[in-house]
Amino acid sequence: MSASQFEGVLSLLIRQRGVLGCLVVGEADGIVVDSNVQVGVQSNVVAALAAALYRKARLCSAAAGLSTVGFLQLEAERGHICAIGRDGLVLVTLAEPRAHIGRIRGAMLESLGALA
Amino acid sequence: MSEEIRRLSEELARDPSSLVFLQLGEALRRAGQLDLGLKVAHRGLERHAHNADAHDLLARIRVDRGELQDAFDEWDMVLRLAPNHVGACKGMGYVLFKQGKLPEAESHLSTAATHDRDDASIATALRMVRRLLRYAHVASNGNGTPGHAELLAAQRRVEEEARLLFADILGDGEHTALLLNSDGLVAAGLYVTADGEDVSQEVGAALTGVRDEAVRAVRHLDLGAWKAVMYETDLAIVALAPAIDESMVLVAAGRSVPLGFVRRVLERCVQRATAWLEEVA
Repeated sequence: MSASQFEGVLSLLIRQRGVLGCLVVGEADGIVVDSNVQVGVQSNVVAALAAALYRKARLCSAAAGLSTVGFLQLEAERGHICAIGRDGLVLVTLAEPRAHIGRIRGAMLESLGALA
Repeated sequence: MSEEIRRLSEELARDPSSLVFLQLGEALRRAGQLDLGLKVAHRGLERHAHNADAHDLLARIRVDRGELQDAFDEWDMVLRLAPNHVGACKGMGYVLFKQGKLPEAESHLSTAATHDRDDASIATALRMVRRLLRYAHVASNGNGTPGHAELLAAQRRVEEEARLLFADILGDGEHTALLLNSDGLVAAGLYVTADGEDVSQEVGAALTGVRDEAVRAVRHLDLGAWKAVMYETDLAIVALAPAIDESMVLVAAGRSVPLGFVRRVLERCVQRATAWLEEVA
């Protein structure tokens, strides 16, 4: 991908064990701003679905009086989606089941500042 | 008027004999425009008097208007026209349940479940009716058909069980748990705010949308079944996981509770909910 302001963050995340791809996505439209994904990962599809999930969690949490959403993890049989948002952008990671979610979470929390 | 209702109205105006009145009536019902929906259903039935789905539409509008007996009679007509109509069996089961006629409700819901094994709402309703029937029989010591008093006793017992379902797992900790059915309604558990207000239904209804998005994401990304969604907010950690009959367990904990502990509580609550639901097949 191009050398954008997010290149460092994405390079850090893609090196984590089991990570298949990481993306910076617009929360409102689900469009990719920047990405670093392995061959075969449909970044546009991941971006749209992850952004929709994060946005829904944010809206539902606000409706339930639970305040602002931070780190989100969806665990499924064949993988994980992790997301964290700020200022209308969402940092998304798609990972295999063997991935170490604790490390990915830590790296994503550290990277949050880059979304500002 | 929504775009869908406008479009369907125009379509029906162009061809008054078309069956599009079924979609229009349903759209009006969902939008809460029950008087208009009723008119559309009646006009449609004038042209399609022997259409089972038209009678089904009218029955569903009647139920939403609180006209239970009229709805029942309409579904009865549906079954004469289409003896295996799942919607009619389900609807009649619902009306009979609301009227406290549990054995009859169980019979209709069983028939509906036989014809549609994938409808989680039928399975959920059937489990509830069977649980009430079982407890009502216990309350009457097995002496004949349970009466009103026994049904009330059964209702109280179910409510108490549901309210306390997760109590021993949660203890006095800074966390809470809910079991939500496929429609997002609270089936068990309690969500009380720090100032003592019960907001279970509101939280349940709001967070069901997250489940729907999770299901959509795993389906399109071919990730298999979803196992859990966990997220952190400024105030809480929220964890969701699926249970049987498309129901869902929700655990919310204070930010001071470790994530891994929340996950373990979630797993135990799912096991408890599954066991409770499966008590009645």
